Amino acid sequence: MITPNETRLAKHCISHAKACGASAARVYLNKCVTDSYTILNGELDKVTHSADRSIYIYLYVDGRYGTFSTNRLEEKELEDFVVKAIEMVRMLGEDECRQLPDPSRTAKDAATGNELGLYDSSYESMDSQTRLANAHKLSIYDKIINDPEEKPYRLISEECEYSCTSDESYTADSQGFEGRHSETAFGTFSEMTIQDKDGNRYSGYWWQATPMAAETDFEGCGMMALERAVKQIGPKKRRSGRYRMVVDTSVASRLVSPLLTALNSASIQQKMSFLEDTKDTKVFHEGMTLMDFARTHGKNGSRLFDTEGVATKDAPIIENGVVKQYFTNTYQALKMGIEPTVEDISRPCLMPYMKGEGLQSEEKEVSLKDILKLAGNGILVSGFNGGNCNPVTGDFSFGIEGFAFSKGKITHPVREMLITGNIVELWNSLMAAGSDARPSSRWQIPTLAFEGVAFSA
Amino acid sequence: MMNDKTYYLNIFKVSEPQLQTLTATALTHGGDYCDLYFEHTTFFNLLLKDGVVSSGGFHTDFGVGIRVLKGEKTGYAYSENTEMTDMLNAARAASAIATGSSAGGRTYAKVADRKSDFYPMKENWRAKGADSFLPFMKDLETAVFSKDSRIVKVIIRMSDSVCDVMMYNSLGELTYETRPMGSVTVTAVFQQNGKTENRSVSRSFRTGAELIGQTLLDELAEDVVKGIDERFEAIRPKGGQMSVVMGAGASGILLHEAMGHAFEADFNRKGQSIFSEKMGQQVCPKGINVVDDGTIAYNRGSGNYDDEGVPGEKTYMIHDGVLCSYLHDRISASWYGVAPTGNGRRENFRYNPIPRMRATYMESGNADPEGIIASVKEGIYVDEFSNGQVKIGEGDFTFFVKSGYLIENGRMTAPVKDINVIGNGPQALSDILAVGNDLKIDNGTWTCGKEQSVPVSCGIPTVLVSSLTVGGE
Repeated sequence: MITPNETRLAKHCISHAKACGASAARVYLNKCVTDSYTILNGELDKVTHSADRSIYIYLYVDGRYGTFSTNRLEEKELEDFVVKAIEMVRMLGEDECRQLPDPSRTAKDAATGNELGLYDSSYESMDSQTRLANAHKLSIYDKIINDPEEKPYRLISEECEYSCTSDESYTADSQGFEGRHSETAFGTFSEMTIQDKDGNRYSGYWWQATPMAAETDFEGCGMMALERAVKQIGPKKRRSGRYRMVVDTSVASRLVSPLLTALNSASIQQKMSFLEDTKDTKVFHEGMTLMDFARTHGKNGSRLFDTEGVATKDAPIIENGVVKQYFTNTYQALKMGIEPTVEDISRPCLMPYMKGEGLQSEEKEVSLKDILKLAGNGILVSGFNGGNCNPVTGDFSFGIEGFAFSKGKITHPVREMLITGNIVELWNSLMAAGSDARPSSRWQIPTLAFEGVAFSA
Repeated sequence: MMNDKTYYLNIFKVSEPQLQTLTATALTHGGDYCDLYFEHTTFFNLLLKDGVVSSGGFHTDFGVGIRVLKGEKTGYAYSENTEMTDMLNAARAASAIATGSSAGGRTYAKVADRKSDFYPMKENWRAKGADSFLPFMKDLETAVFSKDSRIVKVIIRMSDSVCDVMMYNSLGELTYETRPMGSVTVTAVFQQNGKTENRSVSRSFRTGAELIGQTLLDELAEDVVKGIDERFEAIRPKGGQMSVVMGAGASGILLHEAMGHAFEADFNRKGQSIFSEKMGQQVCPKGINVVDDGTIAYNRGSGNYDDEGVPGEKTYMIHDGVLCSYLHDRISASWYGVAPTGNGRRENFRYNPIPRMRATYMESGNADPEGIIASVKEGIYVDEFSNGQVKIGEGDFTFFVKSGYLIENGRMTAPVKDINVIGNGPQALSDILAVGNDLKIDNGTWTCGKEQSVPVSCGIPTVLVSSLTVGGE
């Protein structure tokens, strides 16, 4: 827990900075403790314990600005640090746009840090033996090795990790803002390497991170990793061409992140964005609605305020294809003469969409199965391997792995393929977005389907 | 500072008897080996945008990491201060790995110290104020704008770090050094007939503040506008399998992704790498040598020692086409019964060391680079990259090409850009048809992100690979 003395030290940095000539200051104090246990082939392989404590100081001096950090939190050392920092800021160029946010925009409801219910108090009572036992629960190595049933593969290696983290922060500024944020994270990770009867190797991984210990899925993690490896056995090349593309929810965020980068005002102001001058313009398919659900109770990514202390809110980012919001901090707003918003997105959520009447689900959730059925024939992308999206033009090229599907059913794995195109054009070819985003993910991006994507092989 | 033990002991406020107490405590539960990694890093950065250096700062990091090994098992903990009480607590936490362990003991041997200095620092960055570098940044901006009237924005990032490290282990080895690093990145945004293009170039070296000067300024200003006409004209090629000529220099990312990671010994020890069972086998045509080198003067990937106190060395991974060594840390070296190769690296004291690359390159062959291009009927020439990735088990790798050219009937024709290339490591190695005589090391800000971020570099002569899959429309 952040102690009263640490809070006092953080506030002292602000008052000392003001006394030494700063016109304004903000501090961010972070404490993070993580314990992780790695199991290799059923046996404990690595134990790590980390405990970090650092302070970031943002200084505004004579119309100039600088950012500083240290993990040396002794009072005298901090005072000297602040003095040196102010000396450095005075050497930099003036920029009148460097200011703290309007106090009326900062969060007023982040007093305890756990208003969003992201801190699981059971973290404190979980001892090392329980954590180790949890790590062992992840391993299915012995079960697979000792299973007498003949399999088309040999398990070569299983590596899994259980980690638990407590992360707390305290932010304050010289205008009187104070905000706290606390969260716990319980993470599971499993990676399997297998070899088929021809000696070819395949690997698969799976993971989960949840704020609540009770929501951890232990055995499912290893089985999912193994299944993802086994499914890749016997890949075939598919000819280059244009295919319908379905993207699995576990990797679909890869297609959303270039949009968020382009919606950042810093990119736009530096003419490094393909979404410049698109605010309130219909750029994307009308079926595309991307929300920021920043204040969802108990869910990864939620937060009450951004780095500047500005209050977050649930808001549309792209609504029915229309760009509704740029991410604009105080500096960029003043620089560009536009209204400030928040620095960046907290919890992106792509809303479900079904083209025409072709998508019917027997379940409550529109899942991968439903979307494959809608798409009929094409390629299901289950993983991305490298690639990039040009921030200026939106042109992209990504390596992919996945499966060919026909009449809504997976037929065989594919690999060493690439998709190439323009990210805006891709999103304009949206056929469907499911409602199956993983509940534990910060990125709530469901299974997606697109028309006519260029695949190279 | 290199040879002054007292300097390092004073920075970390510890004595040699205390170091011995810490390792003894860490081995209380029966570990085979223990090491301590003390680090004090100062990092400065400056940013020029819109004509003003209006943002900058410095950051300090300090602490000690304590690792205990039992067999191949690792216990790791750290302290952000060097108070004896806190370090002893970290030592006890790390020692827990050996508690009740049935793992067989393993022997860790001393390594000979070579006392090299691959990056003597003439001017210590820590002695310089931000004001020392502001004229350089402004002059660089002016020089870049003067090169091309289509430039509408220039962004310059400059950073330096100085890292004092001291390492001690249960074998009684005490090593210490100071690692400098200076980096400058320039991005220019160009506009022409309503179209926008950008280009970034960077230089990064383990050197002192003497790096900042007219030579570097001229080089960066010249480089950032290079090839911009072609970029405005560039097309996407038709995708598919084709011959790829890797231009000398940054194409070394091919080696880093396609081979280097798969040669890191931890992946092989665990059976996860596609090269796990290929030691001693012919993996590419005769005559090809692939190296991972920690000894290049002032190189971003070099190290007088790795982060386990093992002296830097030049390691041949492939010699005359035969796989002859993995890249080892102390754990894998002990497991394989070989000497560590100086590849045990870490991001900082918060992480345990693991096998990592340094400067990875292919040695020159004897082919004429122009002749290599002339030999290709249909393919692409690539020479500028951003990032890459590999799947260790399958060996499938990719790298992203920012620019290059189509090759038609032995001549470079239309410029291409923004394409991903994908291939399989072992296959790509065996598909190398020609190696040029023009090895070039790329000195950009390459950073490898295997679990932790560490600075690396790469290089290659002009190389022809008979078939890779190229993304296209």
